[in-house]
Amino acid sequence: MQENYLYTFAKRIAGFVGVLFVLSLMIFILARVVPGDPARIALGPSASQEQVDAMRMQMGLDRPLTEQYVSYVANALRGDLGRSLISGRPVTREIAALLPATLELVLATVILMVLIAVPLGVVTARYRNSWIDNTGRFFSIVGVTMPSFLFAILLQLFAAYFLSDWPIIGRIDHTLAAPAGPTGLLLVDSLLHGRFDVFADAFQRLLFPAIALAMSGIGQITRITRSAMIENQRRDHVLTLQSFGVPDRVIVFRYLLKLSSIAPLTIMGLEFASLIGNAFVVELVFSWGGFASYGLNAILQKDLNAVMGVVLLSGLFFIVANIIIDIILLMLDPRLRLKEAR
Amino acid sequence: MANLLDVTGLNVAFRTYGRRHHLLKDVALSIPEGGRVALIGETGSGKSVTSKAILGTLPRNADVEGGEILFRGENVLDMPRPRRDALKGTAFSVIMQDPLSSFNPVFRIGRHLDDVMYYADRRLGRRSSAGHRRDRIFEVLRRVQLDDPRRIVDAYPSQLSGGMRQRVLIALSLLHQPDLLIADEPGTALDVTTQDEIMKLINRLVAENGLSLLMITHNLGVVRQMADDVYVMRHGEIVEHGALSTIFSSPRQAYTRQLIEAIPPLYGAKVEDQKPAEADPIVEMRGVTKMFEQKPWIGQGTRHVAVNDVSLSVRRGEVFGLAGESGSGKTTVARMIMGLIGATEGSVTVDGKSVEDERGSDAFRRKIQIVYQNPGTSLNPKRTVGQALSVPLAFAGMRGAALEERIVELLRQVDLPANYVGKYPHELSGGQKQRVAIARALAADPEIIVLDEPTSALDVSVQKNVIALLTRLREELGLTYLFISHDLSLMRNFCSRIAIMLRGEIVEAGAPREVFDNPRHPYTRALIAAVPVISDEEETRKPRVSDEERRRYLVDTAA
Repeated sequence: MQENYLYTFAKRIAGFVGVLFVLSLMIFILARVVPGDPARIALGPSASQEQVDAMRMQMGLDRPLTEQYVSYVANALRGDLGRSLISGRPVTREIAALLPATLELVLATVILMVLIAVPLGVVTARYRNSWIDNTGRFFSIVGVTMPSFLFAILLQLFAAYFLSDWPIIGRIDHTLAAPAGPTGLLLVDSLLHGRFDVFADAFQRLLFPAIALAMSGIGQITRITRSAMIENQRRDHVLTLQSFGVPDRVIVFRYLLKLSSIAPLTIMGLEFASLIGNAFVVELVFSWGGFASYGLNAILQKDLNAVMGVVLLSGLFFIVANIIIDIILLMLDPRLRLKEAR
Repeated sequence: MANLLDVTGLNVAFRTYGRRHHLLKDVALSIPEGGRVALIGETGSGKSVTSKAILGTLPRNADVEGGEILFRGENVLDMPRPRRDALKGTAFSVIMQDPLSSFNPVFRIGRHLDDVMYYADRRLGRRSSAGHRRDRIFEVLRRVQLDDPRRIVDAYPSQLSGGMRQRVLIALSLLHQPDLLIADEPGTALDVTTQDEIMKLINRLVAENGLSLLMITHNLGVVRQMADDVYVMRHGEIVEHGALSTIFSSPRQAYTRQLIEAIPPLYGAKVEDQKPAEADPIVEMRGVTKMFEQKPWIGQGTRHVAVNDVSLSVRRGEVFGLAGESGSGKTTVARMIMGLIGATEGSVTVDGKSVEDERGSDAFRRKIQIVYQNPGTSLNPKRTVGQALSVPLAFAGMRGAALEERIVELLRQVDLPANYVGKYPHELSGGQKQRVAIARALAADPEIIVLDEPTSALDVSVQKNVIALLTRLREELGLTYLFISHDLSLMRNFCSRIAIMLRGEIVEAGAPREVFDNPRHPYTRALIAAVPVISDEEETRKPRVSDEERRRYLVDTAA
């Protein structure tokens, strides 16, 4: 048996490219079969039929579907997702402007999830069936069952009543000038430019939407970390180390934690899908002005090119996140590498 | 001679859901300096609890309610926690039982060894550099005959064979020259020949280093090789103890006698010969080969020949034994006969009809049934005995009162009371579960039953009863058994014909008497020689194997 990252990895990527291809096909067909003529939407109700026909020709809607699809994919690969039917600007550029906001929110959410859920899982497993465990279980269930927009609204109400100075709308105070940074992530850019006032403001505004988004993931991951820890605690290899006097903290934090992080990480990959879906609503509640609320507007206005762009990008985002998780899993679990290479 | 360890009046109870289970009752045992002591008993007798109490690794819900564990005259139970921890791995070491599950699968072997050594060093107040520890680890690995320590420490557990991992577990216990070695059923999960090697290795290490040994086992054959004093444990009590020879030749307690008698003899007057069956063959395999192929999208595929050109015939009404070690292809043969997988080459016929044509038909499926090795996992824990039995019956078209009646009859056939219908598997003992599994196989009114190591998960006394049941059922119902096992002494007495498999081929076949008295193939000789036996008479009658033959036919667990 040989360890072979590269082979395993190439296979995963090939699989994901396939997924992306199917996704693009599905969303393309969907966009073509929904009622409503894109050319008509773009020109508005007052345009004449000749104008609409000319527009259709210009947009290539008169050509066969397969041809349209091929050129759509070819353009998409070059980074051209067409023009928005409403604003008339390139979808790619519009999304690119909004993407950092969403990326920052999602990254903050994921960090929050891991930082809270994993230790909570470890602690509740260690003191299982105690009051700590029961409290943890209560909050997990609340987190999993309550929709994130409800959390968003509750958090806003909470801030409005008890933290009257706490900003709860938007990414940044309009009186502060956002630093034109390299990453577009406010927290990172402000630090790079030494603008601590911006950092503090952006951090405050980021915290509540991130909590609202993270709640369901925290509940889920806590439960899974806990059960994995308990499951693995019973294993013989724990007894081996105990029999030779290896301290408990080493057994828990080195041996058990690594083994028990495999299951929650796998779940985390799936969690990304609901994370993007929830972001659509939470961004709206907090007037976040990210790519998700852009998508929501596009859907409401039937801006088909923008919708396709948003869906495709969400898919890409989900896939990239899962590739990263797969890499981490491959690094964590030698059995995965060995099995694939056998 | 002073005793290294004296346990007196040890009482341990477990608390689960507020109920107290008294597991150890006034346990007393002594291990002399440099002595080899065996603690024997069946599942649940408290052997492992005793070893955990000595080591100090009892689970949190266990209470030591009384007694003393004196190590060199000092009670370890009174020691403060750090002092007691300092004994672990240095004064007492344990050889863990199951080499397959005793390593954390996501850490390298070397990491386990290094951590154990690092923390033991620290407790002893020594600081050691990583390089120094590595040198010492390499040295210990060489002592357990692992000749390429560099490869071992860099390997993940799944990259090593069971025998190699068992050797590493032994190395783990020898990192800091302990005074007392506690061996908790080492090698039970391994093949006979590997187990034999491991036992010899432990024996040699104990002798060379002047260690004391506490051997915990249920295998009396192992005890004969490994101990001078024997303690017999039952239901948490020591029922008998004495020197090895006294216990084996004149046991005082009926329980001990029962344990000894339950072991099937390999040679001697007590061996039973089964009548050879004269009837026509019911199963025939001609030149059967099974190849498993893997073809990935890219790159080279792999092929593995699991069964190579096997021909055999099983006569109606006989017990055909298929012996061999793990990976020898015996289960693959059984699965081809059952029609679960197809043969790559050759023909398999049951009752004169090709399995290839018949497989999947109701009649064929009813004709041949299987009893698995582990009744704990082959029965669905969420379904009652009655529900488990009703599946094959409903499949055969039975409904209502007839079905209920048949279930009661099946239970009666396997000697279980009718009220067991409503019980769940966890309410049954291992032997009872296996009886249910046998009843389930009988439900379809089969002609052939494949027995895939049906007793290897059971205690010897339970095994004896299950085998007696199987023998009775065969006579009553005229069944044919295909018995798969690696337990040669059991097969000697239970089978009417036996075939030995090695690497997918049958190397020897015949009546048990011929095969055991005159084994022709060196591998057969090696297999028989590795069986632990309980009397010197049997030991001397075992075939001899030369080192050259051993090297040629046995898997080298050290390389």
